Amino acid sequence: MEKLNYLFVDLAQSLRSWFAGMGLSPFAIDMLVVLVAVVGIITFVLLNVLYLVYLERKISAYFQDRLGPNRVGPRGLLQTTMDVLKLIGKEDIRPTVADRWVFFLAPVIVFVPAVMMYAVVPFGEGMIAVDLNIGIFYFIAISSTTTIAFLMAGWGSNNKYSLLGGMRTVAQMVSYEIPLVFSLLGVIMLTGSLKMSDIVAAQKDMWFIVLQPVAFLIFFIAATAELNRGPFDLPEGEQEIIAGPHTEYSGMKFAMFFLAEYANLVSVSAIAVTLFLGGWRGPWLPSWLWFLIKLYGMILLFMWVRWTYPRIRIDHLMHLNWKFLLPLSFVNILVTGVGIKLYQWYQAMGWGW
Amino acid sequence: MYGQGLLKGLGITLKHLFGKAVTEQYPDQRPNLSPRFHGSFALDVEKCIACGICAKACPNNVIKIASSKGENKKRRLDDYKIELGYCLFCGLCVESCPTDAINFTQDFELASYTRQDTVLHLYNRASHETDGSGESDLACCQGTEG
Repeated sequence: MEKLNYLFVDLAQSLRSWFAGMGLSPFAIDMLVVLVAVVGIITFVLLNVLYLVYLERKISAYFQDRLGPNRVGPRGLLQTTMDVLKLIGKEDIRPTVADRWVFFLAPVIVFVPAVMMYAVVPFGEGMIAVDLNIGIFYFIAISSTTTIAFLMAGWGSNNKYSLLGGMRTVAQMVSYEIPLVFSLLGVIMLTGSLKMSDIVAAQKDMWFIVLQPVAFLIFFIAATAELNRGPFDLPEGEQEIIAGPHTEYSGMKFAMFFLAEYANLVSVSAIAVTLFLGGWRGPWLPSWLWFLIKLYGMILLFMWVRWTYPRIRIDHLMHLNWKFLLPLSFVNILVTGVGIKLYQWYQAMGWGW
Repeated sequence: MYGQGLLKGLGITLKHLFGKAVTEQYPDQRPNLSPRFHGSFALDVEKCIACGICAKACPNNVIKIASSKGENKKRRLDDYKIELGYCLFCGLCVESCPTDAINFTQDFELASYTRQDTVLHLYNRASHETDGSGESDLACCQGTEG
């Protein structure tokens, strides 16, 4: 049990001592271990993405009384693998009038932050690549750079639908970033730290979803919009703007956007688990397994919502954000602040628990 | 209360998540077609009097009939073809046939590689007679009745 819990930590430790046995300098050992962690994380992200696409197709099929992919491999398990191979084989088209470098860089810039975000995700007890003291701030900062990639994609394509779609995406993502961050603020106020390991440690007795249910709701709605998932999947709109910023992209470049979307889904779910659902904490099972279970619970929740609600109109989307979510998140912060102060008073008076 | 409808919607999809899929595994499982299904066509050459009412009834003019005078000055059928590529499967030809010679079949797998292949040649006297045997080997005899 103990052994399983520290499986990956022990693995890293033995790797470290193995490198030390080869007579490397401590700096080189650190670099190598970080490199191994990066490779591990990228493998985790890509495998997740590969099978999340399959999961999404299966789940949507079951919601709609269909069977979903069931031809390629047993139960269709190789479907997405074959899809990726097909995408690699596709011709990579660049419109002649496109802004060459902007067009080329956009899919890269959308994917890099998606992977960078995993640096601060605590996958289990002691399993965090870099435990920054501003972990959650780093996460927010990196995740908000994705916006620029969508604007670049829209601009670089030199196509008016792409530009409109790109601007619409940016408007949506920038707007929803605000309630998303404010909803996290309540948790940070309770913890008194931006460090991921501190946030997990603070949920020893009680998950923050109990203390901050409104914040979780705001986070969930805003994250759905940030991820451009249904019912807020407005960057694409067949009638008005075709496929939005990805209209001109083909083959692997399009796949990069697609991969980033799912990589972001995993990372946002990981953050939700860490901040609201007690992180890797849980009885009996190894910590990383608990983390995975909660992570997939969150992902399934996102999918459930996506395949239940019809997409909403762009102006309704903006109204929901500016007239409802943002004021609500302010109220949540106010109430949290007052609550913390009252609790402190109680404790100071000696009436506390 | 706000949000009740949203929760109700989630409940409905959850019910379907665990429900039974209605997907028909088509090439493995054949569909159960109704008797009046509009599939391909079959011509009962024995019944056909080559009157051409079906060709006239056709809104898209896809039925081409050739006939000649036979013994007893009776009209006899020489050639019957339907350009299925333009066919609406409206059934006006089947309805208007006075002798019930043209009928729908249950065959709906009509995809073909070339445009020429979409033409359904139901009868041709010349090829029929050079083939020798009186029995027809063309698609004309897979009719549902007669």
